[in-house]
Amino acid sequence: MLKIILGAILLLGSLFAKETLTIYTYDSFAASWGPAPLIKKAFEKKYNCNLKFVATDSAIGAFRKVQLEGKNTKADIVLGLDTNTAELARKSGLFAKHHADTSKLDLPIKWNDDTFVPFDYSYFAFVYDSNKLKNPPSSFDELANMPKNFKIIIEDPRSSTPGLGLLLWIKATYKDKAYEYWKKLAPHILTITKGWSEAYNLFLKGEADMVLSYTTSPAYHIIEEKKYNYKTANFKAGHYAGIEIAGMLKSSKHKKLAGEFLDFMLTQQFANIIPTTNWSYPVIKLKKGLPKGFDSIYVPSKMILMDGKTVEKNRKIYINEWLRALAK
Amino acid sequence: MLKVNNIKYKYKNENKENIYNFSLEAKCAEVVGILGASGNGKSTLLDLISGFLSSISGDITYNDQDITDLAPEKRPITILFQNYNLFEHLNVEKNILLGIESKNKQEDIKKTYKILSEIGLKGYEKKIASSLSGGEQQRVALARALLRNKPILLLDEPFTGLDFDTREHMLHLVKTITKTKQICTIMVTHEPNDCKKIANKIYEVKNGKLTLL
Amino acid sequence: MLKQYSRFRGSLIPGLLVSVFLLILAFAIFFTLFDATGANKSTFLTLSPRVIGLLKFTIFQATLSTILSIIIGIILAWSLAHQSRFFARSLLIALFSSSLVLPTIIVVFGLITILGRNGWLNHLSLYLFNHTFEGFLYGLSGILIAHVYLNASYAARALLHSFEAIPKQRYKLAKSLGFSVFKRFILIEWPAIKQSVLSIASVVFLLTFTSFAIVLILGGNPSYNTLEVAIYEAVKLDFDISLALELAFLQLGISVILVFFSSNLKTNISNVKMQSLFIPWAEPLFVRFLQITIIFVSCVFFILPLIAIVFDGINADFIRILKSTIFIKSFSTSVIIASISSIITVVFTLFLSNARRNFALKSRISQSKVGKIIEFMISFSGSLYLAIPSLVLGLGFFLLSQKFIAPHLFWASFALLSANVLMSLPFSISVIYPSMLKTATRYDKLCFSLNISGFKRWIYCEWPFLKESIGYAIALSFCLSLGDLGIISLFGNQDFSTLPWYLYGLMGSYQNNDAAGVALILLGLTLSVFIFVPKIFAKENFVKG
Repeated sequence: MLKIILGAILLLGSLFAKETLTIYTYDSFAASWGPAPLIKKAFEKKYNCNLKFVATDSAIGAFRKVQLEGKNTKADIVLGLDTNTAELARKSGLFAKHHADTSKLDLPIKWNDDTFVPFDYSYFAFVYDSNKLKNPPSSFDELANMPKNFKIIIEDPRSSTPGLGLLLWIKATYKDKAYEYWKKLAPHILTITKGWSEAYNLFLKGEADMVLSYTTSPAYHIIEEKKYNYKTANFKAGHYAGIEIAGMLKSSKHKKLAGEFLDFMLTQQFANIIPTTNWSYPVIKLKKGLPKGFDSIYVPSKMILMDGKTVEKNRKIYINEWLRALAK
Repeated sequence: MLKVNNIKYKYKNENKENIYNFSLEAKCAEVVGILGASGNGKSTLLDLISGFLSSISGDITYNDQDITDLAPEKRPITILFQNYNLFEHLNVEKNILLGIESKNKQEDIKKTYKILSEIGLKGYEKKIASSLSGGEQQRVALARALLRNKPILLLDEPFTGLDFDTREHMLHLVKTITKTKQICTIMVTHEPNDCKKIANKIYEVKNGKLTLL
Repeated sequence: MLKQYSRFRGSLIPGLLVSVFLLILAFAIFFTLFDATGANKSTFLTLSPRVIGLLKFTIFQATLSTILSIIIGIILAWSLAHQSRFFARSLLIALFSSSLVLPTIIVVFGLITILGRNGWLNHLSLYLFNHTFEGFLYGLSGILIAHVYLNASYAARALLHSFEAIPKQRYKLAKSLGFSVFKRFILIEWPAIKQSVLSIASVVFLLTFTSFAIVLILGGNPSYNTLEVAIYEAVKLDFDISLALELAFLQLGISVILVFFSSNLKTNISNVKMQSLFIPWAEPLFVRFLQITIIFVSCVFFILPLIAIVFDGINADFIRILKSTIFIKSFSTSVIIASISSIITVVFTLFLSNARRNFALKSRISQSKVGKIIEFMISFSGSLYLAIPSLVLGLGFFLLSQKFIAPHLFWASFALLSANVLMSLPFSISVIYPSMLKTATRYDKLCFSLNISGFKRWIYCEWPFLKESIGYAIALSFCLSLGDLGIISLFGNQDFSTLPWYLYGLMGSYQNNDAAGVALILLGLTLSVFIFVPKIFAKENFVKG
């Protein structure tokens, strides 16, 4: 009898309780000044549910956390990996196929991934202060041939997304000669940081002439600080892209809601939040256009992107090559 | 009567092994003097009697009761050390009271005042121990030892460095108390004169052994 | 022999329980990790050339950092000991030792503001001599500068203590024999500080050996990574826990040798000052000039980066920061965790030290093989965690939390508290144990013969001599815990965040102004705790004299 009553209470409880969707993501996405609070508000209202973001130090950290938690994971979605780490995640077999309609995507490339859905993108680029630097390099060769005291700060490909992006960008550009190029670039590297935040803060302190960041970084300074002196060095041969993705876990107990979130990522509502909170481009065309400020930043004429499978297969090899080239 | 029967102790130094083997007898109301230059094991003997060191073999009895295995605080012994007899940050009264364990605190305080005036330290009750001279500190410690009412009193070079008059006075005090309270007093010193003045019996420590003089 | 042990069971049992608890925790963490690697143990004990290279560099930079830190620490402590009266001396000393407990990232940015390519020094030199030093703060030199910055000040403070404990009579003797300053140092001061130097050196070596954030931000090159970085790489990137474990064991092995070495050092209690002894006369003019110069230069080197943090942060919008709910949450979580962990740390320290001193005193438990083993176990368990990479620790706790399901808040607090306590224990022990040993050496016989034990002994005999060390240990562990960024990354979420974690989040999303403001708040909090808490303890008069 008791069991039946308890069961009934539980059942009633679950009827009235709102379903909770849990998303693991990187810290700045989930931060109070990031996209998460706005997305949470909009999504909860639309689907009458709870949306919970759990922040880890990086997107890869979020994925590792799911791996560590195994079947017990509370996560329904992992958000924030990019095309370079997609294969790594796919190999784990933890992710379910999505049903989102990717046909309305507005990306410079064709999207045919059946597991992951993109939600924003940007291009890696070197940011400089135009008050201090008048003639920025316009190609990797020019960069390597800058004067001896011209210094850049880059991120470590082993721990950072832009870092890995640069590694692949140079690999895609120089192929077999990448090793030689890194050797030529080495004297210009002031330091290699663990993550984007250290690198960018060092740059803002004036420690280096350029920092590896995104083409969309200047938009932040224009819109939030009304500073127009931060610009990107525009490489004519094209820029490597970072396309951020999200995927739904097989173990999720809220698959329907998770699927709805992936769909939601491709709506105007979601896309409108992205530019001025995550400082990157939305993956669909905005009806009202990009915010003012985005029009004055550089859009690369060509997107460079290495195939995810190639990246996964060779990541270790590329990194070892990089380590050898920079070894002292 | 305190009997020390063949207590053995080994102590390894950096290069040599010291072996001690002690036997002695001390009767009630008697002062036993122990003479010897430093390094012969005087302190080791006192540490063994008071229980700070444990012997390998042999036994110590008091009135035929074996006390060899008792912890220092459980032995019927009170000690006056060469130094660090007082808690330097506490006042004289507190230092004495800490050593007495009776139930009646008022009574204890009275006794404290009385004994302090007996040893010539009237008015010193509230002084901080560290502000006292060496001789004064030793006198306070002796006063406490006497108030503790233990049947055995051990004195470890207690009057070294005191001026002549104080020293005479203290020796006399020890002698008197030993008699009136019927206690066994064992005094370790390197000063033959001190022993001659008050000891009923004198042992000499040499090479880890005691010989009756 | 058993009798002796049973006689001191009151002080042995709590300490042994703490020690066993620490060892079991370490074992549980490693076992869980080992378990998680599954059957895939084939990589075990095969070291790639890269790992060997990293190991070599790690040892190289740690040795160099230690030697430099100790030399500068000695010189500075020597100068301070002989210049015992000048304006704001005690504030200066408090400031010196605060760098070790600040979040590394804040300190590094402070250093960069002063010594960086675009730093104050370069600007000054450009203005005065039309010359810039370029990027000397990056690369091996940068690693060494930052390590010296963090550790030399710590060494100086600890050694100052030893210098001040040298009995005045010895200085009088030196004076009467007409020793030169150099001869005085060799014959009087060096023998008195030697043992402290060795034990501080072993702590500094371990700290620099496991350095992570500094080598990554200032190293400038992947060849200048440490083993700790390789562990990070194995866990985060390759998800190769067995490789991470292998590296962690390698690191642990080296540290164990060091811990063994340093725990075998007899604690030199003649260096424990019971009260401050100022050296009563002035030095020769030239020496005085030298000492004042050394103090002045150190001030500039050690204090300026802190001032830079103030400068960077002063323009932040503090009202906005203080109003933000996440700030308030992070702030209170940090303060609560730091308070609890500093109290646990000190209690553990007292238990461990109280048990350990039984073996160091001949009048308590006589020397035997068993005693030596137990003593080693106690001292080892106290300093073991200097050697466990915080990433491995965090991962271990995380896997444990997966095995034994409990609310997130429980595991997050447990993991954070444990990690913080473990991290500050070695420092706390190094502050408290010598004082406890000295008290016992002096008053043991008196206490036993007067039968003063338990609570009574604690009140009258231990506390009055320990309160200053306890105050300092509490401040130290509070600040170490406050600045820790180690294992929060696996346990943090929007409901559970700490101040450094929040700060790092701000830095990661263009919020530099707020980040600088939060850094300033952290600096202010750390400094006030560091300066005022020991004062409160030193003043408090528990025993009415």
